[in-house]
This record gives sequence, C-alpha cells and structure tokens, in this order.
Amino acid sequence: MNWTQFLFRLIEPVVPPRFVIKRLLLLIPVLFGVASVVFAILHLAPGDPAIIIAGQRASAEQLEQIRVELGLRRPLWEQYLSFLWDAARFDFGQSYSISRGNSVRSVISDRLPITLELAIYGQAAGILLGLPLGIISAVKQDSLTDHVTRIGALTGISVPIFWSGPLLILLFSTYLDVFPTSGRIASTLFLPDTWTLFGRELPLTGMITVDTILLGNTEAFLSAAHHLFLPAVVIGVYSTALISRMMRSSMLEVIRQDYIRTARAKGQGAKITLMKHGFRNALIPVVTVIGIQFGTLLGGAVLTETVFGINGMGLTIVTAIGVSDYPVVQGTVLTFALLFTLVNLFVDVTYSYLDPRIQQ
Amino acid sequence: MSTDTETRGTLGRLRASPFLADLLTNRLAVVGLTIIFSMAAVAIYARVTYDLGALASSQLGTEVADRSPPGWLGSAAANQQLFGTDAAARDIYKRCLYGAWLALKFGTITVGLSTTVGVGLGIIAAYYGDVTDNVIMRTMDVLLAFPPLLLALALVAIFPRDLGLWRAVVALVLVYTPRFARVVRGAALKVLEDEYVDATVALGATDPRVLIRHILPNTLAPITVQSTLNFGLAIIDLAALSFLGFGAQAGTPSWGLMLSRGVENGLLTGEWWLSFFPGLFLAITVLGFNLLGDGMRDALDPRMREAVD
Repeated sequence: MNWTQFLFRLIEPVVPPRFVIKRLLLLIPVLFGVASVVFAILHLAPGDPAIIIAGQRASAEQLEQIRVELGLRRPLWEQYLSFLWDAARFDFGQSYSISRGNSVRSVISDRLPITLELAIYGQAAGILLGLPLGIISAVKQDSLTDHVTRIGALTGISVPIFWSGPLLILLFSTYLDVFPTSGRIASTLFLPDTWTLFGRELPLTGMITVDTILLGNTEAFLSAAHHLFLPAVVIGVYSTALISRMMRSSMLEVIRQDYIRTARAKGQGAKITLMKHGFRNALIPVVTVIGIQFGTLLGGAVLTETVFGINGMGLTIVTAIGVSDYPVVQGTVLTFALLFTLVNLFVDVTYSYLDPRIQQ
Repeated sequence: MSTDTETRGTLGRLRASPFLADLLTNRLAVVGLTIIFSMAAVAIYARVTYDLGALASSQLGTEVADRSPPGWLGSAAANQQLFGTDAAARDIYKRCLYGAWLALKFGTITVGLSTTVGVGLGIIAAYYGDVTDNVIMRTMDVLLAFPPLLLALALVAIFPRDLGLWRAVVALVLVYTPRFARVVRGAALKVLEDEYVDATVALGATDPRVLIRHILPNTLAPITVQSTLNFGLAIIDLAALSFLGFGAQAGTPSWGLMLSRGVENGLLTGEWWLSFFPGLFLAITVLGFNLLGDGMRDALDPRMREAVD
C-alpha cells in the first residue's frame, strides 16, 4: 500500500459513495426545471403586481415607479435570469400583502417549522403504527385481523382530511369540549424569542413542542401538545393507513421467497425468520413509499392547517394565492418542492443502504 | 365466421379470463363496483331531476328555514329535509345527490385526459428512446418534484376565477400525467423487448401502427389499475381544491365547497349536518374506487392468488 492509498483509506468513510454524488448532481437540472416552472406559472398569472402593492387608487406614476422598482420593465429573459439567481440565493424579495414589508425568507423561516412539526408527528405516528399493523396483517393473511386492518386502512385513505378534521373538531371540541378548536397554544401564554443555554442566548426552533421543552415551561408544553393533538391525529391516521397497506403487500411478497423457506427449513423459529429476514427485506420498497408519500403528507398539512387554523406554510400558501402575493407564493412553492426533493434524495440513500445491490 | 360465433367467442373468452373471474370473486372489488354503479345512478338521477340553478341559488326568504337540522331528528316540526338545510336554506340532500354528478363528471374528465396524455407520452418516450425519451421524461421528473396538491394550487392561480372547476381539472391533469407516463413507459419498454415487435417492424408496419396496435394493448393492464386508483385521488383532489377556494364557484353544489361552507358556518355552532353529509358522499365514492382498484391489482398479480401456509 503506497501513501496515497493509505490516505484514501483514511478519508473513505467520510467521502460519500459515488452514487450519492451522482444523485446530488442529478438534482441540479431538476431544481433548475422546478425554478423555471415556478417562474413561468407566476408570469402567466393574472393581476398586476403594482396594483396589488399600491392598491386600485394609486396614480399611474406611482404604479409605473413600482413596476420599474420590481424590475417588471426589464426584458423577460433578464427577469428570468435574475429570478434564477435570486432563487439560488433563496431571496424572493418582500411580501406584497400577507406580511407586508417583511422578506419572504423571514415569512418562510417563521412558518416552515410549524408545518414540519405537524408533518413529523403525523409521519412518526404513521410509521410507528403502520409498520406493525402491516406486518400482522400480512403474517395472518385472510384472518379476521387482516380483514379488519385492510378495510380500516382502505377507509383511512378514502376519508379526506378536510372531512375527518371537521368531524373530530365537532365531536371533541364543540360537543365534548376536551380539545381546543384551533390555534397552537393557549392565548394566555406567551413565549419569549430566545432561550438560554449556559448563559448564552440562543434562538428558538419555531417548533412549539420543542421550544416549550427548551424553555422548561411545562404548562406551555402541555398546552401546545393539547392543541397539536387533533391535527396530528388527522394526519397520522392517513399516514398509518398508507404505510400499513404498503408494508402488508411488501411483506406478503417477501415471505414467499425461497430464502425464508430455507431459513425455516434450517430450523430457525418463525418469529426470528420473520424479523431477521422478512422485515428487513420487506422494508425496502416501503421506505421509497414513505418518501413519495411525504409529498402527499405536505398536501395534507395544507388542508389540516386550513381546517385547524394553524398559521404554517400551508395556510400561508393558500392565503398568498388568494390575494396574489406572488413573492410569497414563489418562495413557499419552491421551498416545498426543495423539501420534497431532499426527502426523496435521503430516501434513495437509505434505500441503497438497505439494499446494496442498488449502488451498482 | 358469422357474427354469432364471434359474440360467443368473445363471451367465452371473457368467462375464461382469469382476470375477470378473479375480480368477480374478490368480494371487496364487487363491493367497490356496486358503490360506483350506485353513485353513477344517483348522479344521473340528480342530473335529470334537479335544476342546477335552483340548487345553487339562495333560498333565504322562502318558507324553508335556514340551518335546520335533518327532518328525522324530529325537533323542528316545520322542516322535512332529510339532511337538513344549509346557511342559505338550500336542501342539503338534493345538493349532495347533485354533487355526485359533478364529482363523477369532472373526475372522469380529469382521469380521462391525464390517462390519454400520459399514455401517449409514455409510449412515445419508450418507442423512440434517446433524445425524445430524455426530453419527455426529464420534463415529467420536474413535475414530479413538486408535492402534488401544491403544484395544483400554484397552477390554479394562473387561470381566471370564472373557469370554476375547469381550472382545477387542468391543474390536476398536469399533476397526474407524469405518473401515467412513468408507468406506461416502464410497461412499454418491457413489451418492446418482445420479438413480435421486431417482427411487425420487419414486415413494414408504420410507427403509429406498431404503437397503437401492438404496444398499447399490451400495456393496458397497468394503465387500468393506475386509472382506477387515480380516480379516487382525482375526486378527493378536486374536492380539496374546491374546499380551499380554488375550484367550484360559489353556490355550486360540489362536495368540497359544501364542506368548506360547513366548516365556516357550522363548526363552532355544532351544526354538524352542514359538513357531515357532503363528506360522507365523498368518502364513500372514493372508497368505491379504492376497493375496485385494489381488487384489480390483486387479480392482475398472480403472486397474490395463492394464500400463504
């Protein structure tokens, strides 16, 4: 072994494998395309940004001045290039109306954690409940348990979030009065902007259940969890249904494989075979589905936020489209697409870890 | 060969088809089919019987009370509406039935268009390969990089408000087409490996003939399953766009819009019937398509036929 080989050995664990780099490079044209689609959509959208900003009663000179300031008088290709440059730096200018005068970046950094928190709890519930349900259903195929789980899961994906949400609110908030109807925390509680660690002031995460723990405020944490419960249940039920369906069909396929029979023939116990050989192999396609389904989950978050009046990215995008606040629409749509793409990249990498054949 | 034997031949083939036999012995699929046919009957009945104008316009000021609960609850003596009335005193029962017509009509158009465009693009990409394939599929990749409902929301913003549900249809077609293109391209690539395609080309068949007569029929199975499952999704997404205020125009008896009014007007006051009934119709219809789609997939997948010991 010469010294270059030796050096390479040393850094090998830190250097991402070639296929990860390849996957990252493939992202560039996709993100470029995504940004172009967003640019095209908002240039085709009706409505004059100058009027949206200045209002109907503004004078012609005022409007013209705003158009020049916004760069709308420049040639289209120049606007396109400057949009791409802005998008690459994640700078979409200022909000026209929903959060007037604030940068789109600050709107997103305020509201993204709210949506992520909701999505993470929903997804976590889906994985924790969906995987075992799917496995039980597959192992006991055609039993009563299987039928109940299957029909339950089918019902779960057929019931729209914007129906289950209102029904839960009606039952638990309006009639039984055990959960709040909307919002994120009791209106009497106020959280500071920063928390202190070893005497240093640090910014909070924006995820309310995390923040209240960081602040050590038990009362606020309980209130936040209380508010988050119903929205998380709505997303969690949907996610559980999707994941258990996938896990079931994937597990059914795997337990028919020869290697399962071989392991059993060698005298290995049924449970050990199932977990050691069955579960790990069946998980591979399910991981992909969890990634793809993350997009649906983000859509679900939009609907959930609208139903429960949670001011996250979802409600922001709906409001922004309604009032033609184009910079906010651009920023939020691009953020969602970027997030979705990155989750799928992460899923691909996990996939290749679970199934090394993919790397070749 | 006479027409008579031909019909018998077709029937015989249908009976012998393991796909149909499996589908019809699958109890869940039969339930799904029953739901879909009943909903279609309801839709046609409502379309023929009710006048859309009357269902859409406010009935305030007439004898009918607004926000009255379902008649069978017995509390209010004056009203006889099965599902109660909404904030504009409109009969929720009639509006729910008419909603079936709107959901199935626009759902069919959405799924039909995305299937046609997606299948066309997928087959062309697979058959011509190379640059054509790359241009088509990379464009599809870009569209697939957006979370579905968010792309639809952004696209809806382009179209003028008075297009109503049509703008939701166009947006959703753009969202669903890439999925069909992907499935069909994969299936078509498998078919292209078969020798009979080479044989047909060698015999001098033109490109359209090879594509339509030889490749398309052999990709129909995955397309049908995808379309059926997509149907349920399309009905939910159309309703979701209406719910968010970017679909059906105010007053239209679409389930999504009725739900959004129900949330606005009845959530805090406990007037549950405003949102309960439209959502129930929506969920049952979607369940019907999901049951059928699942049954079709199982029937097409021979591995699922035998039970595990």
